Amino acid sequence: MKRYLILEDGTVFPGEGFGSSIITTGQLVISNNRTGIEQSVTDPNTEGQILAFTIPSVGSSGINRDFYESINSQCKGVVIGSSSLSTVDNSVSFEDWIAGLKIPGIKNVDVRALSKHIAEHGEMKASIMDTHDEHAMDQIKALVLPPDLVKRVSTKQSYPNPNMGLKIVIVDLGLKYSTLRQLSYRNCNSVIVNYNSTADEIENLHPDGIIYSNGPGDPKDLPNTIKTIQILQKKYPLLGIGLGNLLIALANDCQIERLAQPHHESSLAVKEVASGKIDFVNHNHSYTLDQKYIGSSDFIVTNVCVADGSIEGIRHEYLPIMCVLFEPEAAPGPTDGYYVFDEFIDLIDSVKQQEGARSQWN
Amino acid sequence: MAKEIIDGQTMTRALTRITYEIIERNKGIEDLVLIGIKTRGVFVAHRIESRLKQLENINIPVAELDITPYRDDQTHEEKDISKVKTNPLDIDINDKHVILTDDVLYTGRTIRAAMDALMSAGRPKKISLAVLVDRGHRELPIRADFVGKNIPTSQKEKIKVSMKEIDGEDKIEIE
Repeated sequence: MKRYLILEDGTVFPGEGFGSSIITTGQLVISNNRTGIEQSVTDPNTEGQILAFTIPSVGSSGINRDFYESINSQCKGVVIGSSSLSTVDNSVSFEDWIAGLKIPGIKNVDVRALSKHIAEHGEMKASIMDTHDEHAMDQIKALVLPPDLVKRVSTKQSYPNPNMGLKIVIVDLGLKYSTLRQLSYRNCNSVIVNYNSTADEIENLHPDGIIYSNGPGDPKDLPNTIKTIQILQKKYPLLGIGLGNLLIALANDCQIERLAQPHHESSLAVKEVASGKIDFVNHNHSYTLDQKYIGSSDFIVTNVCVADGSIEGIRHEYLPIMCVLFEPEAAPGPTDGYYVFDEFIDLIDSVKQQEGARSQWN
Repeated sequence: MAKEIIDGQTMTRALTRITYEIIERNKGIEDLVLIGIKTRGVFVAHRIESRLKQLENINIPVAELDITPYRDDQTHEEKDISKVKTNPLDIDINDKHVILTDDVLYTGRTIRAAMDALMSAGRPKKISLAVLVDRGHRELPIRADFVGKNIPTSQKEKIKVSMKEIDGEDKIEIE
């Protein structure tokens, strides 16, 4: 069935529909991921987004249903050039899989032209529709993207991920399962809480450290979470990932800005400033930290993106706070970033040792 | 047989973390001085210095310390007094915050000797200790402020630290 991908600025890309036949709207995001398509589609960070994959043929590396990042699919639609059946795992084709998830898709789209268009004109809203008349245009112009994306993906009810190690409270802003996998691998005894949990509720769980996860949307839509960070950061070691990083920065009078070229790529080089080490890590963010504010703040820049020099990681100069904008849990992408979790655990250990030393000497 | 317990990557990470901790615990790193105990402690000092330079754009003075004349495992007769220099350092440590660096902290006797050497060279405001490995078995009341890795060992075991600058690669082995 012929369908159309219509952009906010009126550009129309014709294609052929597959998957669910509903009309869908959302923020159009260009993803340069080659593999791990199933991880991207199920990533809670893609809530409210229409994902356009620039890889010429999607599905050739297989659709592995063991690699989900959440139970339900999150994205609002997929745009692809073409799809192919994998010889690696041909139990399910990409198109059948998308249909099963009830996601609307559109194929035979010139994704290369689409990607260039977005690179030139910036990220915009888009819709997958059956027609491209004036009425459709009016509809997409009138569309307001929902400001409650985090509310939609965050867990309503707190739940534990028990183990025998450090007690970590994870504030779920759009938590991916791979973050939990990394913590489980390190024996962390985690509790996952709603994004609106108060400081008292979190303190009652007696955490050794707190993680603010990655998530979708504009961090300025979450003023309560920012206030909670301001209370908790004086008492506990914090790790901010993605959206969590942006919130921690905003809680400390830093400013954020939209990236000229948003980072949606599963393997992009990041340099560790201290040692000059290069890591290839998964990126999925449209915002970055404003360099001007970081300079005069109490943060030091620990990681930068090699391609555009944007800030990818910060650390507080005297509080135990560390943040990264990229996704250390990978999924999809290379596993170079796993060390961030080791570093956070080292940070907690050293805070504990300091406290131990203080009580010994006093 | 020697068994590698820390690889190059983990060592690099440990040194980076020590650097972060030095920044975190010293509001302002202007009056810091890094003093490495020969041989590998000097490389540890230089690596921390280069990280501080990258992160904070500040040049921290680094000096080498040869503690041979101050060791307590030699008798007075064995010590060659003529080799003892009055000032073993080429930088001023008066009123500075000295961070002593070494590769392995074991009995604590090396550190005591290093502190003796420092005291004879001036009056630092404060002395802290950063080590790559703390293997336990202290014989003196000394502890490190910054530890790369705590490695519990038996006294029979040997810890061997290799560093790129002198050994060609970064690793820590136990045997």
